[in-house]
Amino acid sequence: MKQTEYDVVIIGSGAGGGAVAYTLTKAGYKVAVLEKGRLIRREEFSKDELAYCRRDIVTPSLFDEYHVIEERINGKWVATPTYDSGWSFWNGNIVGGSSNFMSGMLHRLHPDDFRLKSKYGAIRGANVVDWPICYEDLEPYYTLAEDLIGISGHYIPHPFEAPRSTPDFPQPPTKENAVVKLIDQSCKKLGITPLVTPRAILSQDKGHRNACYYSNFCGSYGCSSGAKSSAREALLTPALATGNLTLLTNTHVKHLVTGSKEKINYALAVDTVTGKEKKIYGRLFVVAAQAHESARLLLNSANKDHPDGLANSSGELGKNLLFSGGGSGQGELHKKSLKHISFEELMQTGLFVNRSILDWYFIDDWWDGKFKGGSVEFMFEHQNIISRALKHNYNGENLVWGEALGKRVVKRFTEQKSIRFEIFNDWLPNDNCFVTIDPKHKDKYGMPVGKLRIEGHPQDVKVGNYIAKKCESVLEEMGAKNIYSSISNAPAQNLIAGGCRFGNNPRTSVLNKYCQAHDVPNLFVADASFMPTGGSVAYTWTIYANALRVADHIVEVLRSGSRPT
Amino acid sequence: MKRRTFIALGSLVGVTPYLKAEPFSTQRKAFQETRETIAAVQTHMFPERSHLPSAAKMHTIDFTEETIFHPTYDKDIRAFVIEGAKTLMERENGKFLSYTAEQKEQALRAYEQTSHGRNWLSHIMVLSMEAIFSDPIYGSNSNEAGWKSVKSFGGKPRPKTRYIEL
Repeated sequence: MKQTEYDVVIIGSGAGGGAVAYTLTKAGYKVAVLEKGRLIRREEFSKDELAYCRRDIVTPSLFDEYHVIEERINGKWVATPTYDSGWSFWNGNIVGGSSNFMSGMLHRLHPDDFRLKSKYGAIRGANVVDWPICYEDLEPYYTLAEDLIGISGHYIPHPFEAPRSTPDFPQPPTKENAVVKLIDQSCKKLGITPLVTPRAILSQDKGHRNACYYSNFCGSYGCSSGAKSSAREALLTPALATGNLTLLTNTHVKHLVTGSKEKINYALAVDTVTGKEKKIYGRLFVVAAQAHESARLLLNSANKDHPDGLANSSGELGKNLLFSGGGSGQGELHKKSLKHISFEELMQTGLFVNRSILDWYFIDDWWDGKFKGGSVEFMFEHQNIISRALKHNYNGENLVWGEALGKRVVKRFTEQKSIRFEIFNDWLPNDNCFVTIDPKHKDKYGMPVGKLRIEGHPQDVKVGNYIAKKCESVLEEMGAKNIYSSISNAPAQNLIAGGCRFGNNPRTSVLNKYCQAHDVPNLFVADASFMPTGGSVAYTWTIYANALRVADHIVEVLRSGSRPT
Repeated sequence: MKRRTFIALGSLVGVTPYLKAEPFSTQRKAFQETRETIAAVQTHMFPERSHLPSAAKMHTIDFTEETIFHPTYDKDIRAFVIEGAKTLMERENGKFLSYTAEQKEQALRAYEQTSHGRNWLSHIMVLSMEAIFSDPIYGSNSNEAGWKSVKSFGGKPRPKTRYIEL
């Protein structure tokens, strides 16, 4: 029997895989998307805190599939499997990937993020390089992504806001809690410019998707109206409607198999329900399994022609893994001391805190000097009830229970609301942040697990602390109590990039400027793996935009009918 | 501190053999032997007239049993929940259930002075809070009493099944 051969086989159905699938199926090509998780449809999602936020419902059990995390402790590298630590590095393993669960606070990269080394020079201990493309190359795709997936917002000119080719966002901002008045007033008093956060949430209906219904439980949950601009809603649903997309769920790719040194023939996958193996053939292959897993797949695909991993003649595969530098802070707005807005307004549920600060994206401080900074997002503390109730139930080292606990919990829920800020600054690429495959540990499918050595650069913490102080002053001006911030080199495991950096030199990069493997021309990588530096905003918009750019190139390759070069 | 290191610290005072996964049926039986003790501790933590719904009215022990034996629950913590209750019973020579509230308070505070006891009580607190504030579909938080007590309510749509039908 003749095997089905797809034009393109995409591994991973998140923002990168979804964007490539959208473009290719619209262009008439037959595409297979392989997703290790299952499909959860819009109508199946609920706001079940226990299931979605406190159990491994949308991620693998760490006893079955895990990572090994290597950290420097007291000067020595200590490796711990995540089934021991409980520190999961999985992020939404269902159709649409982690884009189902994002909060959707998105920004474009700034033009200088594409030329960090030229602009700011080398930093000792950091592998900073310029990108092989510039902002002008990606701008049309940021605009396309904004329109296609639906990003709501309001453009306010700012020196550190990336230039736009359109005057404003396709949809107005989502409705806002009155606390934004307090943020705006406080920022202005301090000479800071608050901006409206671009958000990947629809404020108005768009095609098959309904506008946001302000459920009060957005981040960490799937969306029940289709307003959240997940790859599943915004890209895979229309891709499926073309009739050109075959969505293979519960399909975990173990490794890619080459027919010759420069051509992948098929993906060897396992059905996660039946355990049966299958071969999925294609002309081109696109890997978009999230940065650390994409690198792991290519490392696990080593063969006699590629002994150190597929497309790894440079030795760069898995190296320069990126997370996001920075941290977060919080303060309490108390009923008794609240100013400018009423407590009832503050307690109104479901409305967004659409405020960002870019004033410290680049810093030129008379005392601290000139350096790359970061961005800031404001938000309420997550409204999950169980997790909020579990805070403050300790008095020193002792648990509080009985009447004292009841009083504390009720007071906390009814007489105050916590406002948070999150800081995103560059996680500088360095020699001690990379993914390899573990020589001993294997997942339940018998494949070596990803081993992540994680260490941040000291500069990341310096930048985070600089910005945190500024943010604390905003909360203070707002009248918040018990303000604190936490900046560290601990990675946010939901923000992962790098590991397959792109560049013009095959000796120093895995991918070319079209995110095509230098060594294996029918292999592309379309998640955040390509990024040699990460910028100082969440990666999602850049993943969408770059994957749309890569997809346009793949269409050209397929149209030319020639062997990809 | 890492989560399982946290559990393992407790194991230093006697739980180690039990953290080696026992058969499910053995754990079920062991839970039944400790059920009343766990329920009594939850009742002590969440008594009547304490601003929050009581453990007894919210049937937190039923929630606890169903939760720890669900496939999504960490099997090591399940073993620890059972073993921690056994240790408490042994520490109090089997008399814990007959204690007055004051005696229970003394016993639990003394148990809290050990790393084992402190970790175990923390897990019982978490399971009780999960019961009282999770969606009523899980069998506790009856009539949304937990949510009403803090004037905060779960979002919509509410779950139609427990754990979205694994």
